[in-house]
Amino acid sequence: MKNTLPTITFILIASLGLFASFAATAAQQSESSKGTLHLVSSLPRTGSANAQTSTMVNGIKLAIEEVNGQIDGWTITYQDLDDASPQRGNWDPTVEAQNANAAAKDRSCVGYIGTFNSGAAKVAMPILNRAGLVMVSPANTYPGLTKPGTGEANEPMVYRPTGKINYFRVVPADDLQGTQAANWAKSLGAKKVFILNDRELYGKGIADVFQKRAKEIGMEVVGFEGTDAKASNYRPLVTKIKAVGPDLVYFGGTTQSNAGQIAKDLRAGGYEGLYMVPDGCFEQAFIEAAGDSNLNDKTYITFGGLPAEKLTGRGATFREAYHKRYGSDPEAYAAYGYEAARVLLDAIARAKTKDRAGVLAAVAETVDFDGVLGKWSFDANGDTSSKVMSGQTVKNGKFEFVKVLGD
Amino acid sequence: MQPHEVFLQQLITGLSNGMIIALIALGYTMVYGIIELINFAHGDVFMLGAFLALTLLGVLGMEAWSPTWRIGGVAIMLVGSALFCGGLNWTLDRVAYRSLRRASKLSLLVSAIGCSFICTNLGLFWGGVPMEVFAGGVAAAAPKDFPQLIPQTNLLGASAIRITPADIAVVVVTVPLMIGLVFLVNRTRMGRAMRAVAQDATAAALMGIPVDRVIGITFFIGGALGGFASVVYALYNNTIGFQMGYRAGMDAFTAAVVGGIGSLPGAVLGGLTIGLVRAMSDQYLETQWTNTIVFGMLVMILIFRPSGLLGTTRREKV
Amino acid sequence: MRGRFGAITIILTCAAVVPIVDLALPESLRISEAVRGVFLYAILALGLNVVSGYAGLLNLGIAAFMAIGAYAFAILTCEIYPFQVGFWPGILLTLPIGALAGFVLGAPTLRLRGDYLAIVTLGFGEIVQDLLKNLDTVTKGTQGINPLPSPSFGGEAWTASDEYKWYYLLLAVLVIVVLFVRNLERSRLGRAWFSIRQDELASRSMGIRVERVKMLAFSTGAAIAALAGGLSASVLSSTGEPSNYDFQVSILALCIVIVGGIGGIAGVLVGALVMVGLNSIVLVKAAAALAALGIGGQGNVLLSPNNWKYLIFGLALVLAVRLKPDGLLPPRIERSMR
Repeated sequence: MKNTLPTITFILIASLGLFASFAATAAQQSESSKGTLHLVSSLPRTGSANAQTSTMVNGIKLAIEEVNGQIDGWTITYQDLDDASPQRGNWDPTVEAQNANAAAKDRSCVGYIGTFNSGAAKVAMPILNRAGLVMVSPANTYPGLTKPGTGEANEPMVYRPTGKINYFRVVPADDLQGTQAANWAKSLGAKKVFILNDRELYGKGIADVFQKRAKEIGMEVVGFEGTDAKASNYRPLVTKIKAVGPDLVYFGGTTQSNAGQIAKDLRAGGYEGLYMVPDGCFEQAFIEAAGDSNLNDKTYITFGGLPAEKLTGRGATFREAYHKRYGSDPEAYAAYGYEAARVLLDAIARAKTKDRAGVLAAVAETVDFDGVLGKWSFDANGDTSSKVMSGQTVKNGKFEFVKVLGD
Repeated sequence: MQPHEVFLQQLITGLSNGMIIALIALGYTMVYGIIELINFAHGDVFMLGAFLALTLLGVLGMEAWSPTWRIGGVAIMLVGSALFCGGLNWTLDRVAYRSLRRASKLSLLVSAIGCSFICTNLGLFWGGVPMEVFAGGVAAAAPKDFPQLIPQTNLLGASAIRITPADIAVVVVTVPLMIGLVFLVNRTRMGRAMRAVAQDATAAALMGIPVDRVIGITFFIGGALGGFASVVYALYNNTIGFQMGYRAGMDAFTAAVVGGIGSLPGAVLGGLTIGLVRAMSDQYLETQWTNTIVFGMLVMILIFRPSGLLGTTRREKV
Repeated sequence: MRGRFGAITIILTCAAVVPIVDLALPESLRISEAVRGVFLYAILALGLNVVSGYAGLLNLGIAAFMAIGAYAFAILTCEIYPFQVGFWPGILLTLPIGALAGFVLGAPTLRLRGDYLAIVTLGFGEIVQDLLKNLDTVTKGTQGINPLPSPSFGGEAWTASDEYKWYYLLLAVLVIVVLFVRNLERSRLGRAWFSIRQDELASRSMGIRVERVKMLAFSTGAAIAALAGGLSASVLSSTGEPSNYDFQVSILALCIVIVGGIGGIAGVLVGALVMVGLNSIVLVKAAAALAALGIGGQGNVLLSPNNWKYLIFGLALVLAVRLKPDGLLPPRIERSMR
């Protein structure tokens, strides 16, 4: 075997890298008077969701920095885990399970912030539930994760093998947002709607709710189509839409799944009606991807909470702090991430025993939390009680608050 | 819109999209024709070309140019991206493929897959460049808006059918390139050398043809076509993103195979077929089934014509 | 003398002691869970190796069979469907179902030449994804199917936290698959595969029924891939989304086979260790360590270690085939026949 040398070199380099990283991980165990309480987040950091999760992590870090990483003499450490893998370019169930198991085993870990994708939550929830580790999601909106009767018959109990609730979310679920969006569409004067969805858990779920509600309140649904998030353009679909003449197009999807391109193609194809999207698009990147001229005045975005500039009290402080720290206004996802981290920090401060069980109990008892998304509590399912939905439009390339949605 | 107008509109859209696919497919088919490599990195080289075009656009401030000057701007982008992608493709061949000429075809394939990952990552970095056209580079992974240098207004005025200057631009750029390529391959000395290498590299070398150089030039031309395609794609779709190489590459590769891989007219025919099938399937079936239709059609075509529409049945070497 | 049985034994023995070593290490350094992922990919890649390594048919859609296995297992066992056959029957049934799927794809297409077959398998992968997404009354679309049963030996069903039980179960399945394909490659059928890979025309004139032999390779590979799919769904207790079985998974499996050394079992095992290990052990731990050291922050795309993963993975592929074009552990027969 004359070619052994390269093989050995290869394996050697790989194991060296491995060792170095281990050593580094081991070296960072910090010391403090009372001990360390560890928080982790598990979000897709590799690939196309990176833009959104970066602002989320910014929000989480800001929340921890605000307490100087100390609560009652306990040191708060935070680790930003990636639940995506390069070859998937998106969340990877194996990696998510790995993150959840690692957190479950780490006794110093008292809080798990995640996941971004509801599909990933389905994998992580039972694992963390058995470990009694509290999980706060800044982004999952699939209703079946918490609400009985909204998903499959066995949901959500299937995610709670111990029977106890350990999963909470700071964002309102799709059933609220889709319904409010349909109501708003009607009040904007839409009579015929064409509904698109990106065929992903979030987008399809919210589009289904929108469709159901739209029919209930007497709008005509002239089309319901699943799009391909990787398509280079949607011109043929736009022609199809134009041919049936809707006055509003609803897209259940995100910036990642090409909401911007759809807006662009609708305008390029000569569609002149309204365009409505959910909070997955409530970020500057959506306007940048779509080009402002394609969105101005005719695009509507729903969001679970109030936008940054309408925030008062706690929210206004957050906006200033975020701006000072990162040089830009916080986006929807930053606020969600920040809120999730603050709920945990608040619970740690209140917890009678500074361990998993104590923090879990304290999170569950979160009442009248003065957050950036309003004043809210967790209900018996682990959902936020906040029903505040806001609607915005785009004017001159900027989001502009229109009104608080409500019934 | 009347049903016949809808049909005509889908025809126009399908052909425009098909032309772009065809242009990318030509790059695949050239490289495949000469060294039988499915060049997985081609789609990502194409993607980087679009990023270069957007960078040029930003550096030169083309958005502020008058309509006539903009045409010049488009020409600058076309040339710039073509040279860049050609050079990049040539470099990949030099660095990552050339040493594997004698290794198995599959090792070559893995090397190309590796290059594809590397290029994807470079695209991600590029999106983070703090320039205004990249929205300040704040959200590196987000899709980037590519300004409408060629307007998307309707040339037919108030007619329900739309033909835009962007549609025209696709044709104006693509068709001469295809003709030029056919001329190059069939009528020039270099083209003859390419065909000789494709036929039998060893024999070509014995006849005094510098095989590695010819292969390098083929990579350059293939990449340059990808560069042209990237600008046309960006002008037509007005969005670019670091992961756009995947679908563009997949469509183009399928087009090359449908047409008969290695055949230049085949790649064009394949591209147009896929563009049209996509448009018609979106219109008359459901969008969510379009990919199934496209690949189902691929399987059907290959079952009845195992070497693609215009491919020649080559005997496996014994 | 093909085989490298020694190398295989060493690798599998090392794998068997990993959890024991692991227990002696601090929490952050443990890797047995990640190694479990290596086993799943190793099983998948062994399936691909039967098709692409033994019979020489380039398959770019092996993930589709993994998806079929996962969904078949889910539909057969999940409590929301009427079948509920339980873990063991469900896992065993993935084998014939996978083989059948391989037959369905293979029957009309196996006469295609080299890369034309490759694109058909690629297209099949896309079609399966679309079917899983669109036929949502059966497959639950993008929601995925959960929960899925895990094995139990008399006692309570395992959970994800019973990691060492899972570890050894997957290792045992891997050993069985290794023994199976090892016997296959030494059988009459195995020799027929090597023969058609070397020279289809000559094999035909020697009386080998090429179509039938290819078909068997395709179905065997598909069955093994489906088994990997069923197992991975059971470990996660969920099928995940259909896009968890996309082209990228097929590509990873192909890279494992080729980087390891196509056509040999030891090579595939090493390939799985290197590629998946790089992905889910080295890159993960390195990114975590860098983050813990305070490296990586906002503002610049270059600063976040996660943004380098594609690049590192790609470079590893290019370097691996550059340094070892025949793979890290090529099967010995290849050398003697050159």
